[in-house]
This record gives sequence, structure tokens and C-alpha cells, in this order.
Amino acid sequence: MALEVQPPSDRKRVKVYELRDNDWFDRGTGFCTGQILDDEPRIFVESEDEPDRVLLETKISKDDGYQKQQETLIVWTEPNGTDMALSFQEAEGCAVIWNFVNGAQQQLTSMATAGFPLDDAFSDDLESYQSIMLPAPELGNLPDIDHVMRAASMTQAGRDALSKFVIREEYIPKLIPLVAVAEDLESLPDLHRLCSIMKSLILLNDNTIIETVVTEHIILGVVGALEYDPEFPTHKANHRQYLADQSRYKEVVPIKDPLIRHKIQCTWRLQYLKDVVLARILDDPTFSVLNSLIFFNQVEIVNHIQSNGPFLKELFSVFDPRSADAKRKEDAVQFLHQCAAIAKNLQAPARANLFANFISHGLFAVIAFTIKHPNPAMRTTGIDILVALLDHDPIMVRGYMLKAVNEKKTPLTDTLIDLLHMESDLGVKNQLADAVKVLLDPQVPLQDTMGRAGPDYSKPRPNIISDVFVQNHFDESAKRLFIPLKRLENRASLNDITFQEVALHAHLVDILTFFVRQHLYRSRAVIHNEGLAPRVAQLLTVPQKHLKLIALKFFRTLISLQDTFYQALMTHNNTFGLILDIVYETMPRDNLLNSACLELFEFIKRENIKPIVLHVVEKYGEKLRNITYVSTFQDLILRYDQMQGYGTEVEPTLYSQDEGTPARRVPPNGQRWQGVREMDAAEEEYFNTSDDEEEWQHDNGANTTMATEMQNGSASPVVKPLVDYPDDDEDDDAMDTKAEGSEEQTQQPSAQQQVTSTPDAAAESAVETPSTPVSSTVQVPPERLSEKRRREEEDDDELVKLSSGPKRRSSTSSNPGSAGMLAKKRSVSIGSLAAAEKGATQNVLGTVTGSAAPKRIAINISSKPSSETDYPDSAASTPNSEKENRGENHGESG
Amino acid sequence: MSDLDRAIAQLRACRLIPETQVRELCYKARELLIEEGNVVSVDAPVTICGDIHGQFHDLMELFRVGGDVPDTNYLFMGDFVDRGFYSLESFLLLLCLKVRYPDRITLIRGNHESRQITTVYGFYDECIRKYGSANVWRHCCEVFDYLALGALVLGASSELEPTGPALNDTTQSTMPIDSGELETEVLNSKGEVTYSSYRPRQGVPSDVSTDARNISPPRDISSTTGQTPLRSGPPGTGASGEGAGSYSSRTGAVLCVHGGLSPLIDTVDKIRLIDRKQEVPHEGAMCDLLWSDPDEIDGWGLSPRGAGFLFGGDIVKQFNYRNDLSLIARAHQLVMEGYKEMFDGGIVTVWSAPNYCYRCGNVASILELGEDTSNGGTVTRSNGDYERSNGIMTTDKFGVRSPGRRYRVFEAAAQDTRGMPAKKPVADYFL
Repeated sequence: MALEVQPPSDRKRVKVYELRDNDWFDRGTGFCTGQILDDEPRIFVESEDEPDRVLLETKISKDDGYQKQQETLIVWTEPNGTDMALSFQEAEGCAVIWNFVNGAQQQLTSMATAGFPLDDAFSDDLESYQSIMLPAPELGNLPDIDHVMRAASMTQAGRDALSKFVIREEYIPKLIPLVAVAEDLESLPDLHRLCSIMKSLILLNDNTIIETVVTEHIILGVVGALEYDPEFPTHKANHRQYLADQSRYKEVVPIKDPLIRHKIQCTWRLQYLKDVVLARILDDPTFSVLNSLIFFNQVEIVNHIQSNGPFLKELFSVFDPRSADAKRKEDAVQFLHQCAAIAKNLQAPARANLFANFISHGLFAVIAFTIKHPNPAMRTTGIDILVALLDHDPIMVRGYMLKAVNEKKTPLTDTLIDLLHMESDLGVKNQLADAVKVLLDPQVPLQDTMGRAGPDYSKPRPNIISDVFVQNHFDESAKRLFIPLKRLENRASLNDITFQEVALHAHLVDILTFFVRQHLYRSRAVIHNEGLAPRVAQLLTVPQKHLKLIALKFFRTLISLQDTFYQALMTHNNTFGLILDIVYETMPRDNLLNSACLELFEFIKRENIKPIVLHVVEKYGEKLRNITYVSTFQDLILRYDQMQGYGTEVEPTLYSQDEGTPARRVPPNGQRWQGVREMDAAEEEYFNTSDDEEEWQHDNGANTTMATEMQNGSASPVVKPLVDYPDDDEDDDAMDTKAEGSEEQTQQPSAQQQVTSTPDAAAESAVETPSTPVSSTVQVPPERLSEKRRREEEDDDELVKLSSGPKRRSSTSSNPGSAGMLAKKRSVSIGSLAAAEKGATQNVLGTVTGSAAPKRIAINISSKPSSETDYPDSAASTPNSEKENRGENHGESG
Repeated sequence: MSDLDRAIAQLRACRLIPETQVRELCYKARELLIEEGNVVSVDAPVTICGDIHGQFHDLMELFRVGGDVPDTNYLFMGDFVDRGFYSLESFLLLLCLKVRYPDRITLIRGNHESRQITTVYGFYDECIRKYGSANVWRHCCEVFDYLALGALVLGASSELEPTGPALNDTTQSTMPIDSGELETEVLNSKGEVTYSSYRPRQGVPSDVSTDARNISPPRDISSTTGQTPLRSGPPGTGASGEGAGSYSSRTGAVLCVHGGLSPLIDTVDKIRLIDRKQEVPHEGAMCDLLWSDPDEIDGWGLSPRGAGFLFGGDIVKQFNYRNDLSLIARAHQLVMEGYKEMFDGGIVTVWSAPNYCYRCGNVASILELGEDTSNGGTVTRSNGDYERSNGIMTTDKFGVRSPGRRYRVFEAAAQDTRGMPAKKPVADYFL
């Protein structure tokens, strides 16, 4: 049967490479031709220097995985397992040879299916894979074993066959004795071979093999071999020393079930394999197999513990105040801490069960014990456990806290607040601040408490807590919390502020900023009643610049809320004067503080926040005029003039909200920003019962009225304070009526309108052309660039994946303690994460029980969330993608 | 020997310092960084480095290749942490050096200097492993918030001086450098130059290199035949051309930023209007500076990373022209050859983590910019102290010349100097 492929007519200059020991060895440069000899398509390369020497002669068979990479590379694997590559001088030459190869393969395939016994390599392969045999496990056979394994690992079929053989013949236990023999003989080459054999075995990433590897009698032999890594010929690791050390396993209360004990040990070994032994060589599928094994072990361990009543009883009895065994208590805290850390990786129901059982046995008492512990490390650990609880279900924790208040006990919040005030260890202080932040988060609607409490773990929960009660508790706690801030009132100067005070105030202002952003209405009362805004303003004058920055951030947040109450707070006091003082102090130097101030005024300018523009220009006009090194302040004056009707008429677009400003859309410190949300029931109720409502509306009225008056052209700027808040009800009323018929329509939307229309507004402004000076001059990026190819670098960090998918399940990692992250994680874990984990779980379960076919799928899916180019991809990915090509090169290097 | 010097010595040996010292270090660093502008002005000579990613031993290799601090001035363009197993040692050492020699070393923020990213890509995990709690991670993240967003290198020479003191001069070619502007040296792990090339800027045809992001055998055979091939091919195939063309006595400034440009930023001065003390946002100017990538497109494109944008050659050209820049140096993307110039040399990616993730097989590079002594060392711009532009750019832009660039390409540290990289295992376990 004649092949009809037309061999390329001329010779292409090319370099021939062969993969040897993970390095591409250069076999020389020559000229490449495609030929058909004896009806077999072949590639020839003749040496450039010695035309008689043939650098390469290879037969093209229909099954060889030829791949074209980039424009000038063809890569394939020889039947003997050697990886080869042709690197063409020109893309054109590469294309010609590639076409030849492709054409030949297609022909061969069609002939084979038509029943022509042209090439029986395929059936040979199939047979040999099904009955793959490794030579007997003897030292002399090691090179052969290594070779066969490498070759078989190239294809999935080979890997499956190899796995089956290894499991069926119990090959690994037979290999183990060789390690000791080779060590006795001090035969480094054999040890190196054993090491690469073990690597290949593990990277087959077969569950059964990996489970075998970590069993009691096998593990030391396996890691023993892995101590002799041929890539580090002068090094020997000491894995055995670490793993043989039985004292690393601490048992506070003995776990009697031998199966669970076994699982604990195996999990520990798996983690060591993952983190240390295989850290450099793990590919994605193996990584996810290891993680799945660890995960399922942990599920069983945790399940055993939480359902083991006697065990828990004994565990928590360690904390009996009558017991004096301090070391044992510390160990028990560590134990609980580790449980909590593991629980973070579990699915929500399992976690909920564990915590519910812990709590019913007295977890809060343990937390109370730790946070008063003299050792800061213990305090840290205790708060970590609390943060894990908060992370899991803040509403539940809050429920317990409120219950305590109801029963007239000291709630945990009060304890934490007191500690926050006194704590001298700055790390612990930081954690405390985060915990308080989440515990008191005014945002969380308490009604949910009941809805979310399942029948199983709702028993200890309090019944419906009225919102008034919640508000009261929040007010009381906040009052207590901000006492130190309030006390600043009596200090004339803050020049002598101590280090500890600076740290405390930094946290307090940060928490306050968080509250305001989370729930501006609930926070209002606190800020108003306690007179906190002037205190924060005082902090603008401290010598410590980072504290100044934090205070500045508070006001920046107030401004961004565009709430008349908070605007009034700022215009009432000399806040802007103090901020301008900072500008004066720092200008025209280019530093962080200066930039932060400029950004604040830029924001006012950009958003055209009238009351503030009016206030600032009228009160501090001279100061503004003197700042000329940036245009911001002159622009503000211009804005003011326009409002007065002096300048050109302001374009209507200036009134529009520019959602495109980075500071607006994204809150500082990574805390969640949920926008000005629609009012939920709790807020609604709050409004209906609060006098603030009146004042609030009055503010709007006052506001617009004032603006209207200005526009109507009073020649002399009004000098009196713009908004008389909140003490002048009658006045406000009068203004309110006056505002009725005015040109309110053209004004900036009132705060209330914003509240209800934000989602739409956001959507609109996302597409509207930015009207701000910052963005008006630049090209607007396209909405969609459909033909854009996806780039395949593995170093790509993809932000999307962080928020949309679960992170790679890692048994040792845990969530960060910052409240912002807590909030974020919380929302993820309830929704998508849980679902995704479930999906992964099911799929991996499929691996354990199912046949070979689902295995591939399981691996792909379970590794997908993390294959965000974090690790080089393995050979398991889609064929013909660039990524795959590179992945294969890696796979071999492993 | 001061505490700081002792800490530096300890960290250089890849041993961690106690938590209390970390805290003090972070506070000191904070005091320093708060005084820096969002765009730091740096005078040439300076050596610009890209991503480090916790590859401590390769960072030491970098110092061997580029010269030690404080003898050489360094500018690191972020991504100190994550992925490698020694993020803590790497970042703390750099921070110590910053505190010890504030004028000699500049650190700017990368997208990995973020709470959110570090929790996923390893730094958070590493802090927990090595210190037992997240406190050190918190301190470091606090410092991240204070890091500058970019740097402007001023007074770079358009000509290259002979290789600096870092190397043994006998190992390199002593060919006199006339007006050659681009030089590449490939160093092996012993610091010996194994390959070096010069490219006179004038008249060199622009040869925009093809996608260099794949791990593969070398592909540019025409320029390498006869050379000892490196594992992943010779660097220096990234080509360059002349942007501005005409001659003048000065070079434009070099903007250094981790990711790239932002559609919200049309002048360098706009960067100064950002309140940078915050977690890296998911969008907006600050995010873009840390996340964007250049690409062979026109205008702006969506980034597959989900943050930042892709920007094309026209954007770079326009931005450089408008801001009097001769070059944008950035990091953020793995380049197999260690560096890659794009858009007629208007932008360069510098990558300083060799054998990235201990497996990618790439080489790394650093970029040296020499000092222009022709004006007696004076520079035309400074740290905002005077003449901050008020948004109106002068139109006379002719004569901005590209600075002379010397790329030193290096490989991963020799294995005998670093042992087997691995994470720290847990000391004790209960479960």
C-alpha cells in the first residue's frame, strides 16, 4: 500500500535535541527532510558539518505523540521512550515538516482502521501494557526497573498497567529491603535508582499505592530511598529520622480506636510527604491525590472525635480548675487548636457538628482560660480557636454571647474588650481587635440566627433576640470599647502619647471605621453619643504618622459614604482644617501621608460632594489657594465658583456617581465593601423606631436648600456653619419646607435615593464614560475581547480564582485571622466552597470505588481549582494545548 | 555589631530571627516607608530585579551576581513572597537591608504583597509553620501596605560602563564598549560569564521575539549555534530597537512597577494621588499597576488573570512619550530567558526567580542601569520637591534616549549551596 503523502522537497535547517537526565542535549545542527522509504514515512536529519553523518532517522508511526510547539518546534517521544525535539531555524520549515508528519499519521490511521496490517505497533503496545512486567526486585535489575517504569509512565495506559502490576505483585514491600542492602554496600548509584523508582511509583498517583507507601512497615523504606535524590548527589536528607521519631505524636487523651490512631499517623506521614519529601516534584494530580487522602482521613478522625462522648469529656476535664497540670492544659489547648485548624478544611456540616460538641463540653470556658493565660503564645492560640469559630459561624457565637448578656453574665465581648485595652503583646492585641471586630459586626442580621439553626445544633441557642436588644448590646459594647478613645478629650496634647496607646488607638479607629462602613446607621448613635469624631480628629495631630493615616482613613470612609449625618460631623468640627494642616506639613514632599490627603480631596472634587466643597472653600479658602503644587485644590475652588454660578455651567455628568474610583469600590485593608445596601428588615425597623430618621431627612433638606441658596447667587459666601445638626429641629423643619419646590431634581441624588438605587447606579456607571479628570483622557478598555487568546504561563496569578473557587485543600493551612478575610471566607464557605468541595469529594470518592475511567475525571476536577498555574501542569491535561506540551516536559523531569 | 547587623547575618545564613525582632523590624520599616512617595525616585546607578518568590538561595545568588548590598544599589519590583519555600527569610532579609541601608535598596509592592494572595499561595502557611501563629504574617502584611507602588530611575546613562565590581573581570570579554547600549551576560553558578553580547542600539533591526513563555528546547538556533547551550536556551534573544531615534544628552526616566500600566493612569503624577495604604484592591489604578501585563495587542484588553489589564505597544509608546520615559521596567511574568523587551524596547520584563517553583527550568536576570556622569551627576527630576507637573506636559519630547542596559542572566543557585528545598514540617502533632 503506497503512502500518498508528498514528502517535502527541500531541506530545512534544524537543531536536534534529545532529553537526557532532564536536560535537552544538543545532538547537532543539520538539515531535515521527510522521506518515504519502504512505504514508511521517516524524518531524516543530516549533519550540517559532516554531510555524511545522520543525526536523526526516525520512523513516523501513527500513534507517536508529535507536537508542534510555538512556531519552530516539533517534539515527540521515540518508541524507546526518549524524548526528542527538532528546533527549526524558520517557522516555515517547521510548518512543512509538521504537515508531512500530520499527513503521514492521518494516512496511517486511515489505513489501520481499514484493516491494513501496516503497523502493528499499536496492538503490540496495548498487549504489552496489559501485561506489563517489572524485573524481579533485585539490585542488579534496578536499571531495568527504572527504565521500564519511566517508559510505562509516559502514557496513561502504561501507568494504569504499571499500577496494577505493582499492587498485584505487592512490589513495593519487595523493593524496600533493597534500600538497606544498597546502603550497606554504600552503592550510591543503586540508591539513586531506588530513589527515582520510588518517585515514579508515587507519581503514578494511584490511591492504593500511596496508601501502601505510608503504612507503618513501608514508609521508612520509601523515604529512606527518597533520601538519595540523584538531583542532589552530594546531599542526603534525613526523612527517616523525622518520621521515626515517635515522640512527635502527642496524646493528651489516648485515642483508643486503633483504626483512628492508624489514620492519624498516616495523615501525618502524608503531610510530610507532601510538604517535605515530594515538595519539589509534586505534579498537580499527585498533589490532589495526596490532599484527598489527607482530607478523607481528617474527616474520619474529626468525626470520630466529635462523636466520642467519653473522649471529649476526658479532654475537657483537663481544664478543671482543680487540676494543676499546666503542661497538660497547654497540650489540650494545642489539641483543640489543631482540631479547629483541621475543621476549617471540612465541609460546613461536619465542622458545625464538631464545634457544637466542643461548645457543649465547654469550649468557651477553655477560650476564656486561654485568653487570660500569662503566656502570650497561649493567648494567641486561644484567640485563634475563637477566630476559627467566628469564621465558621459568627451568628452562632454572637448568639451565645447575647444569651450570656440575657442571663446577666459577663459576655465574652466584654472580656475581649477589656483584654484589648490591657493587652501588651502587640500580636495578641491585633488578634483581639480582629475578633472584636467580627463579634460586634453590626451588619449581620440577627433574624438569620433562627433560620440557620438546624434541629441538631440549635439547642443551646437563644430564642429570638429582638433587634432592639441587639442594638442595645452593640451600643453598650461599643461604648465600652471606645472608652479609651473618649478619654482623649481631656488631653490637651498628644505629643506624649505612649507606644501602647498608639497601638490601641490604631486598632480602635480601625474598628470604628469598619463599623461605619458595615452599618452606617447602627454606628451613628455610638459616634454621636460618644462624640467620637472629634476624638479621631484629635488623632490627626499625633506625631506618629501611621496613626495619623488611620485617623485620616476614618474620615475618608465617612466622606465616601456620602451620608449627610457624617458630612455634618466633619464640617462641624475643624476636621478639614486638621487635614489641611497635614497637607501643609508634608507638602510638597511626596510621601504616603501627603498622597493620602491628596486622594481625599481628589475624591471630594471628583464626586463633587457639594456640602464639603462649600464648607472647605468657604472656611479654608486661603489655605487652599496657597497650595499650588498640585491642581487639586485650585480645582476645588473652581468647583465652588461653578456652584456659585461664577464659572461656566457645570456639566450634568459631574453629578453622576463615578463608581470607577478605586477607593470607592474597594475598601481599605481588604475588608468587604457591600456598598450602600438596600435596607434590610432590621434597618427598616431601626429607622421606624429611631428619631434619627427625622434628623436624617432634615439633613437632606438642609443640604439641598443650602446648595440652592448658593446657586441662586448670594454674592457673599455664607459664613455660618452649613448644617446645624442635630440640635436645631425647628430650623431644619423650616428649611425642609423651603426645599420642597426648589430645583432639587438637578441636585445630586439624596442619600435616600442612593440607598435604594445603588445596584442600578453601579451597573450604569460601570458602562458610562468616566467623567472624571483622571479617566477622561485615557482610552477606555474594551468590555470584551473575545478573540484574545488565553495565555498559558504558569506564573499567572488569577484573582478570579481566589474568589470563585475553593483553594487547594491543604490540611495545614488555615484561614487568616483578619476580620476582612473572615467576612470574606464566611460568605464563600457557605455557598460556593461547600458546593465545590462536595463536588470534589464525590468525584474523588469515585476514584476510590470506581473504575479507571472516572479516575481521570476525578483527578481533573479535584485539581482544577488549584491548577491555576500554581504548579506546572502535568500530562493529564488536554492534549494539544501549549500547556500540555510543557506539562509533559515537566512530568518527565519529576 | 548592632542588632540589625546581627539579624542580617542570621538571615543571610537562612536562619530566622525571633518574632519580637520581626515586629521591631516591621515597625522600623513602616516608619521609613511612610516617608516614601507612591513613586520613589531612585538615582542611577541601580540594579533592577524582578520577582523573587521566596527563593532565598537564588536571592543570594542574585547578590553574588549583581554585587552585595550596600556596594550595589538595588530596586526590587515586588513579589518577594509566595511559592518558594523561604518567603520569610527572603522578605525579612530584604526588609532588614532596607532598614539598614535605606538609600541603597528600594522595595516596591507586587501583587503577591497582599493578604488575600498570600493566604492562597504559601506565605501565610509558611508563617504559621515557622512561627506557630499568624502574627508575623500580620506584621509583614502591615508592611506590605506601606510599600511604594513604583519607582522612577533618574539619571541613567545611555552608555554602558565596563562591568562593575561584582565580577572577576578576567572572566569576561574585554571588548571595548563603544556606543553599544544593550549588553547581556550569562553567568553560570560560579559567577563566570559564559556568554556575553553587545548590541549597538543604532541600526539594529528590531527583532521582536516570539512568545518566550514556554518551556522548551532552545529555538533560536541561528544565534546560538556554537555556543554552549543552556538548559533552556540562551537568553538575549529578546531584541530591542530604537524608540525615539534622535540624539540628546540625556535619557528619559525609567519607570519601574510590578505589573504595568493602568487605563486610569495617564501620567506618572497621577500615581501620586493614590492612597496606597490598603490591601491591594481588586480593581482601580492601584490594582492595575500591580496586575497588568503588556501584550501584543492594540490598546487595552481584558486580562486573563481577572485583575488588571493587558496593554499594547501603542499604550506604552504613548505613556512613555507623555511622561518623558525611555523605558518601563516591570516584572510579574515568568520569562524563560530572564528578561524580555517588547515594543521596540519601550518596556522590559525582568524576572529574577531562576528555575521558578524549583521546576520551570528558566534562567533569571537583573537589569543594571549605569549612572550618567555627563551632567556632573545632576538629574532633571527629583522626588517631587519641585516642579511637580500640574498635569500639563511639555510638548518638546525629542531627544529622549534609551538608557544603556546590562542584563545579567543567571541560573539557580548551585545545589550544594542550598540543599534540598522543602517546607518546614510540623514539630509536633496531635491529630
